[in-house]
Amino acid sequence: MVRLTKTGTILAYAFLTIYALIIVVPFTMMVMNSFKSMRELFLKPFSFPSTFKFDNFSKAWNFAKIGVGYRNSLLVAGATVIVVVLLASMFAYMVSKYDFSFRRGVFLYTMLGLALPARLAVIPIFILLRNMNLTNSLAGLVLIYSSVNLPFSIFILKNFIDAVPNELCEAARIDGASVGYIYYKLILPLTKPALSIVAIVTFVNVWNDFFFPLILINDRSKATITLAVSIFFGEYSIQWPLLFAGLTLSIAPTVILFLIFSRFFIAGMTQGAIK
Amino acid sequence: MKVKARYVLLFILPALALYSLFVVYPLFDSLMLSFYSWKGVGPKIFVGLKNFREMFFGGFSKEVFNAFFHNIYFFIVAATLELGLGFLIAFLLASKLRGAKLFRTVVYMPNMIPLVIVGFMWNLFLNPQIGLVNNFLKFIGLKSLARPWLGDPSTALLSIILVNTWRHLGFYVLVILAAILNISPDLIEAAYIDGANNRKIATKIVLPLVLPTFRTLLILLFIGSFNVFDMVYAMTGVQAGPFRKTDVLGTVFYRTAFGGLGSAYTDMGLGAAVTVFIFAIVMPLSILYVFLVERRERAW
Repeated sequence: MVRLTKTGTILAYAFLTIYALIIVVPFTMMVMNSFKSMRELFLKPFSFPSTFKFDNFSKAWNFAKIGVGYRNSLLVAGATVIVVVLLASMFAYMVSKYDFSFRRGVFLYTMLGLALPARLAVIPIFILLRNMNLTNSLAGLVLIYSSVNLPFSIFILKNFIDAVPNELCEAARIDGASVGYIYYKLILPLTKPALSIVAIVTFVNVWNDFFFPLILINDRSKATITLAVSIFFGEYSIQWPLLFAGLTLSIAPTVILFLIFSRFFIAGMTQGAIK
Repeated sequence: MKVKARYVLLFILPALALYSLFVVYPLFDSLMLSFYSWKGVGPKIFVGLKNFREMFFGGFSKEVFNAFFHNIYFFIVAATLELGLGFLIAFLLASKLRGAKLFRTVVYMPNMIPLVIVGFMWNLFLNPQIGLVNNFLKFIGLKSLARPWLGDPSTALLSIILVNTWRHLGFYVLVILAAILNISPDLIEAAYIDGANNRKIATKIVLPLVLPTFRTLLILLFIGSFNVFDMVYAMTGVQAGPFRKTDVLGTVFYRTAFGGLGSAYTDMGLGAAVTVFIFAIVMPLSILYVFLVERRERAW
């Protein structure tokens, strides 16, 4: 592998440390400033808070309706993951392991979706959901997100299912296993790593999205976490400690999960995004 | 293996139906809608190519091309920074420095934060009076560099791009690192034995071998640059101030289709025409991307 000279190593460490600070310092500042009073934040923006105003957090929690945002985002992202994992694995299994007419055509048709930016179609999506009485509803979001995340998930899963030896499926077939049984007892257990990649990527995509809630949701009780924070920012734009507290709360669950399972997340997201 | 048609339908139809109804059909419908004038309610009026004339030659064209060039600028700066720095950092990390694992976690962390939240966070940090950035510059004696980053027409868009890089760079670092680690160690070993220095190794061996990865990343960067919206929304608002200096096609589209006080042009049909324009720009590269992806399916 690459070997650095002694000065090279020192320079590399210096460079990487600066970069790490550029990432870590803003997060630290955000958390520290969310404990301060407006006055202290204004006078000593960099200092450690002299007293911890925990009620900034309770206020931000209540004003921004963070709890409602968490719940809605969790419901939408969770339901989407279930739909996507199920439908994409069924589709990928059929396309990967069986011969039928239009097999290649059907696969390429879904692969087109890898590159179609679905948000460009948001006007018809909006009208479609309005006609189905599904604007301003979490179910509408789940439908959209599931559809949008299918192509990528199918792509990943098909690659993995292709790697499952055909002989294995054929042997099961000869032993009398049905199409559904092979899917449930053979394919799903053997592709668990791919299923978890799909689940992670889908969950993070949905949790982080702002565009679709912005356009499809206008009721605060249905706001996802990103929309909730955005509304909060419009209303309390001058109360900085509260804003910082709201931001901290909004990202805390994902950051904590990430710090615990970072290897898992990184492997999933980078392998998933590029193949 | 052979299979009965009803099983095929049972397994592929649910995914196919959702995808067709909520991705493919709406894209076609956007194309149709771009030939109409429509306020979102009431009758749609067929106007032929009027929306496109308005967009390319009419009063609206100024707004559209202003935004279009910002998207291009966004792509050029973001691609240079993210691939350039990404390669440099990945190369350093490939040398098995101690702490490289921890470092990977740190660089990837911003990718976990929603773009719009990153935008709001930096919106506060870049505030001219009490923002941390200007305060920090004063603190280290570079007060002359302090400025209203997002309010100054000459720095607003660049600030957004830098924040965007802050958010995304980790992803590029890790993807490029994975590509570097895929290179056979013998190749690099042999070059060392032949007396090559690190700069030679980086430019003559590693870089050429990770170029295919760069190509895919460039396509993703290009598509991403024409999808920018959240960051601008959170940092300079739907009016994309100052004086539309941070306007991108995404915000033009949003104002046109879903209104935005102070917009002279609001019409769903015209908005759809903007998406058709974006689509036409992105589509050739999207197809190339699918083609590159599909080439891995040679086994067929």
